Amino acid sequence: MDAVLVIQSLISGIMIGMVYALLSVGFSLTWGVMHVIHISHAAFGLLGAFLAYSLLQYFGLDPVASAAVSVPLLFIVACGIYQLLIRPITRAKEVIVASMILTFGLAIILENVMVLVWKADPRVLTPAYASGALILGPFYFQYPHLVGFGLSIVGITALYLFLKKTYTGMAVRAAWQQPEAARLYGVNLYRISMITFALAVSTAGAGGISMALLNSFEPHSHNLWLIYLFLVVIVGGVGNVLGTALAGLIIGVITGLSMAFLPFQWVNLVTFGLLMVFLVFRPYGLFKQGV
Amino acid sequence: MKKTYLAILAIVTVVLAAFPAFGPEVYYISFMFSVFMYVVLASSWNFIGGYGGYLSFGHAAFFGIGAFATAKVAAVFKLTPLLTILAAIPAGGVAVLVALIIGYPCLKIRGPYFAVVTLCFAFVVDLLVKNIEFLGGADGIWLKFMDIPEKMSRTIMYEVMLLLMIITLCVSWFFGRSRFGAGLTAIRADEEVAETMAIPAAKLKIQAFILSAFFPGVAGGLFAYYLTYIHADVVFNVNISILIVLMAMFGGGGTWLGPIIGAVVLTGVNEGLSTFAQAEIARIIYGALFIVVTIFMPNGIIDFFRKKGSSP
Repeated sequence: MDAVLVIQSLISGIMIGMVYALLSVGFSLTWGVMHVIHISHAAFGLLGAFLAYSLLQYFGLDPVASAAVSVPLLFIVACGIYQLLIRPITRAKEVIVASMILTFGLAIILENVMVLVWKADPRVLTPAYASGALILGPFYFQYPHLVGFGLSIVGITALYLFLKKTYTGMAVRAAWQQPEAARLYGVNLYRISMITFALAVSTAGAGGISMALLNSFEPHSHNLWLIYLFLVVIVGGVGNVLGTALAGLIIGVITGLSMAFLPFQWVNLVTFGLLMVFLVFRPYGLFKQGV
Repeated sequence: MKKTYLAILAIVTVVLAAFPAFGPEVYYISFMFSVFMYVVLASSWNFIGGYGGYLSFGHAAFFGIGAFATAKVAAVFKLTPLLTILAAIPAGGVAVLVALIIGYPCLKIRGPYFAVVTLCFAFVVDLLVKNIEFLGGADGIWLKFMDIPEKMSRTIMYEVMLLLMIITLCVSWFFGRSRFGAGLTAIRADEEVAETMAIPAAKLKIQAFILSAFFPGVAGGLFAYYLTYIHADVVFNVNISILIVLMAMFGGGGTWLGPIIGAVVLTGVNEGLSTFAQAEIARIIYGALFIVVTIFMPNGIIDFFRKKGSSP
């Protein structure tokens, strides 16, 4: 085997893995904290990518800078969606089922709105540095990939610090571990759920931008992204931020290596087969510890 | 009360069976064919998903396996039309076999994890069929359809699918009133407690899973013949899997009538929207429908009307 190729695909695997992690971490939180499986999570990520695309196209705004616009925007939109749609269904007998059906509907709406606004053609983010690359000896890193990777690291770290260090973040963790006890200690569960949901959606937006820096995208891409979300979250353990980050890296490396050494059509087969094996043997994820 | 109920069902059946005799356009026969098919799919999904509470998001896999098994056998042995239709039954058996193999490890895991593992299973089957030439390959399989006028052949398939639907619904009816169904309902409510009360959970789950794989397999076989051309993208489509779940839960999982209502309403709405509105707008309205129904009827249409009826 060619050592350079192995290391190169290992490194691109780590990069894409970090992006998967940022995209998935919010999904993991809404699932863990609120027992809501947010099917339209990836669609919101895609929305972030399309917003970045338009901002770049019409205002020449760099994708990273556009995150500063779309992340707060998505936060506000998500607060509204929580109040209008998610909160009413927390009364259902089976919240998980109800949330899956509802957010599946939401994903269909988002997808088709994106088709109407941006058309169903594949897009790529082409910032000024798109064609540049960092060359280190035999290795080769495209600048957009590095930027996407950097954005993901910043995003995950910020979310992790928020959950560990701030009062609201601690309340979110408390609500995940012991909802009843948290309420007795004066945590407003509805408010915490709203913040969790909005945070999750805005990290999805940032993750979508990172994803768009590494891959081309179109309004239907969120379906495939969603599969990766499930994969990463389940390997990492539901509700576990660090686990999600690690799982993202592992899955990125596996897909990176299989892309280098397997025919293209077998890559997804490896991924899905892996997820099945994982679910059957370790449904609680690789790591048992919490947020 | 029960007698009038049965009488109504008998009348509906006779009207449906006689429907092609009234000389409707082929379009309506095709439409009814897909309604029947989705009733079969949603009602059989209901065995494991609705009663047992194990949400399978990969039921299109059984549908597709049935379709490809029938198509393969018909293409290899150059079967006559009648034999091809009958070949759908052993094709359902193939689906059962796959369900048995996949069910043993997968039914041990619960809740959303089961949903995800079945979703993946459908993807794996799809990719295997596409990549292995013997199973079907990327080109799909062509079938020779009956050599008679279109209307005649569509009517025959219509009646066959109607028959399959009636059989499925009869099984579903007895299932809901049997100890089997009651055991599964107990499993959905609380699996540990059910096991303590001497309900053989593992056995019931696998039996329900097999049962819920058989009818979609047969329906897939009939569908393959009806289309005359079968491709993995058509029958293993993840949207079919999700649609099956939505139909059953939309109407009300764990009831006899729920999946029927869900399948009829959603197929009708889908068809109506795609006829009268631009494709994207139609999909947006369709998506909004799920949101509205979940918010106002979080436990399905049936539950909603039952509550309306019981409370003054």
